[in-house]
Amino acid sequence: MKKLIAGAILLGASSLAFAQPGCGVGAMVWKGQSGIAPHVLAATTNGIFGNQTLGMTTGTLGCQTNQSVQSMAMYMDSNIDKVARDMSRGSGENLDTLSVLLGVDEADRSEFNRLLQDNFASIFPTSDTTSNQAVDAIVALLEQHERLSKYVA
Amino acid sequence: MPRRIPSAPLLGLLLAFSCAVSAAPQQQADIEALATSEQWLTLVHYHPNRFQSGYTSQADDPSFFFSESGKTDPEGELRATIEAISSPASGDPNRHARCAFPARDAWIREQLALPEPEVTCTEFEEWKAELNTQAITLVFAASYLNSPSSMFGHTFLRLDPPEEDGETNLLLANTISYAADAAEHDSEILFAYRGIFGGYPGVTSVQPYYEMIRVYSDIENRDLWEYELNLTPAEVEQMLAHTWEIQDRNFDYYFFDENCAYRLLALIDVARPGTNLLDEVSTHAIPSDTVRWVVDRDLVSEVHYRPSAATSVSHGLSTLDSDQRRLAAALANGYISVDGKEINALDDEDRARVLDATYDYVRHQAQAEDWPREIAAPLSHELLVARSGLKGPPADEGPLPPDVRDDQGHDTLAVAATGGYDGTRHYTGLTLRAAYHDLLDPPAGYRPGAQLQFMRLDTRLYTDNQEFQIENLVGVEIRSLTPRDAFFRPLSWQVGFGGRRTELPTGNRVLTPYLEGGAGGTWRLTRKLSALAILTGDLEISKHLPRGYDVAPGADLSLLRQGDRFSLLTGLRSKTWIISDQHRQDELYLEGAVHLGRAYSIRASASRTHHYERYETLWNLGFRAYF
Repeated sequence: MKKLIAGAILLGASSLAFAQPGCGVGAMVWKGQSGIAPHVLAATTNGIFGNQTLGMTTGTLGCQTNQSVQSMAMYMDSNIDKVARDMSRGSGENLDTLSVLLGVDEADRSEFNRLLQDNFASIFPTSDTTSNQAVDAIVALLEQHERLSKYVA
Repeated sequence: MPRRIPSAPLLGLLLAFSCAVSAAPQQQADIEALATSEQWLTLVHYHPNRFQSGYTSQADDPSFFFSESGKTDPEGELRATIEAISSPASGDPNRHARCAFPARDAWIREQLALPEPEVTCTEFEEWKAELNTQAITLVFAASYLNSPSSMFGHTFLRLDPPEEDGETNLLLANTISYAADAAEHDSEILFAYRGIFGGYPGVTSVQPYYEMIRVYSDIENRDLWEYELNLTPAEVEQMLAHTWEIQDRNFDYYFFDENCAYRLLALIDVARPGTNLLDEVSTHAIPSDTVRWVVDRDLVSEVHYRPSAATSVSHGLSTLDSDQRRLAAALANGYISVDGKEINALDDEDRARVLDATYDYVRHQAQAEDWPREIAAPLSHELLVARSGLKGPPADEGPLPPDVRDDQGHDTLAVAATGGYDGTRHYTGLTLRAAYHDLLDPPAGYRPGAQLQFMRLDTRLYTDNQEFQIENLVGVEIRSLTPRDAFFRPLSWQVGFGGRRTELPTGNRVLTPYLEGGAGGTWRLTRKLSALAILTGDLEISKHLPRGYDVAPGADLSLLRQGDRFSLLTGLRSKTWIISDQHRQDELYLEGAVHLGRAYSIRASASRTHHYERYETLWNLGFRAYF
C-alpha cells in the first residue's frame, strides 16, 4: 500500500493531461470565465494550513528515510486540511488513510486516533503549520509512544 | 516512461528477419472473419465510415498501428498485428508487440493458434503491479448547484485494490480519466473551436482518487457516485491491458461525442465483449446518460455515494437547531469567539456539532468564496483545537445518499405534442429538445433550481390555414436559481440565446435571433416553493426592427414550485424596449406540469401579455415524453 501511493504519484506525473473541470459543452462554455460561474475554473486550492503551495514537496522530505512516513507526508501535503479536520474529531477516512500508509494495525487504530486527537494542538500549533512540520510532530509523538513507536521505527 | 513501439523502418526490418508466419488456409479464412468481428473493431477503435463502406479507427496516432494503412484497414492491421506478436523478440522485450499491445495479444491468441515468442514485459507487469487492481468502479461527478453548465457531469474509472483484511483504502486507489490536453494559454474561442471540430489531443491519465476528490468534491462541489462494475478478474485484466495500449496515445478529443465518457465506454466494451456501449452514442455522449447505459446493461454491482464538500456543509448545518445555527453563523462571522460563554454553555455533543459544522462552513467559504486567509485560517485553527478537546462525541456520519440517483432521473431527450390558442388562432405544436432539463421537468435526480436546455425546437401548425411556423429555436438556455440564506448568498443567474418569434407593431410575428440574460436572487419559502426576483436584459436583432436591433432591460418576479407530482412556475415579467420602438411589454404567466412518473409529463400554460397597446391571451396544453 505504501508503494501504491508512490506509484500513483509517479504515474500521475508521467501523463501531462490537463484535466478539464468537467467535460461536454458546459466546460467549453465556461472555461476561462469568472464571476458568474466561478466554480468551474476554481482549479486552485485555498486551504487553511500551510503555505498554500500546490503540488508535491517530496524534495523537502529528504530527512525522512522511512518509506511509510514519506508516503504519509505526501498524502498530508495534498490533504492537510482534511487530515486536520479528521484528527480534531478523532475519526474519519483521512485519518484512516494515515493509518494505512503508516501500516497501523486495525487493533492499534483507535489508540492512534486518540493520540493524534489528544495532541492536536501540538501537531498543529498555529494555522501556519506546514504539512512537513505536522508530519515531524506526528513522528515524534509516535516515537515516544510505547505501542505505536514500531510504526515509525 | 518511454513506451513507443519501434518506428516503421525498424519494424519492417524486424519483420523481414523474423520467420515468416505461414498461416494455414483455415486460419486465412478465420482472419478475414476476425477482422470484422466486434472484438477486433473495438480493440482498434474502428467505426464504420459514415458515408461510404469500410472502417476508420478513432485513434489519431500512427504508433497505435502496425500496418501503414492500419487506420482504415482492419484486416491489414490484424494481419500486421499477428505478424508482430508472432515474431521472436530482439532487443528490449518491452518494445515487443506482445508487451506494447497485451490486450490485442490476449484476444488474438484466444482465436488463433500462433507461435508464442518468449517475452517478459517487465514495464507492463510493473505498471499492473503498481495499479494493483481487483475491481473497477465507474465514478460519476454529478452537476453542482449554481453551475448548471456542469449538468452534463463527468466520468472516470477508479481501479480498486484488493481487500486485504479490511485495509482497502479507496482514497489511495488510482483513477483513469480521459481529458483534452488543452494548452492553458489557448483563448476561449480557440478552445471552443477545437473542442467542437477537433484539434485537441485527448490523453488518458492516471491519478490517485484523493486528487480527483479534491478537484471534483472539494473544489467543484460535485457529489460523486461510485458504480462498482461487476467485471470478472479476466475482464479487469483485459481492461487494464487495453488501457496500457491506449495510454499516452492520441485520440482527438471532441466535447460532444468523443469526450471523457466516450473513451471509458470503449474500455468497458473491450473488457466485456458484446456490451456495445458505444452503439448508444449517436451525436453526443452526455456522461450522465452513459452512466444510465452502464446501469441498464447490468454492469453495476454496487453504488456508493460520496457527498461533496458543499453537500456536507449543508448537511452539517441542517443537523443544528435554529439557535445553534445562529451560534454557528455568529462564530463564523467573528461575532462570538470559540471559547465564548455562548459556546461553553452547550453540552459536549451540541458543542461538537456546532464546532464541526462551523469549521466545515468556514473551510468551504474560504474555498468557494475566497474568504481571506488572514481571517479564515486562524478561526479554523481555533475551531479545530477546541474540537480536539471533545473526546466523547463522534463525528457526524455525513449526509445520506439522495433517494433518487442522477442516473435515475428522467431521460434527457424530450418530445412534446401540444395544442394551443393564441386568442385568434388555434394551433398544434411539436417540441423537440436534445438535452437536458428544465425547471418544470420531473425534478427527481436533478439539482433543484437548475436548468440547462440545449437545442430545443418548438414548432406550430396553425389549424386555420395549415401554416407551419418555427416558434422557438433555443440554442442554449441556462438558469441557476440557488436559494439564499444566512450562510450562503449565491447569485441567481440566467443566460440564453437562439431564435424566437417576436411581434412587430404591425402585429406580424417574425423569427428573430435573441440573446438574453439576468441576475438576481432566490429565496426559499417552503421546502418546495421558492420566490425569485431577477433583473433581465434582452437583445433582439432583426432587419424588421427599425434600427435593426433592440434592447430591453426588465425584471421578472416569480414563484417556483418543484415537486415529484407537480411543478409550477408563475410570475410577472416586464421589460422596456428602448432602441427601435420604445414601449413596454408586460406578461403575466402561469405554467404547470403534472408528472406521470419520470417518463411523462402533462404541461399546461396560460399567459396574458400587454404589448403595443394590445392584450393577448395564450393557452397551451401538452404532453411530454422523455427518451
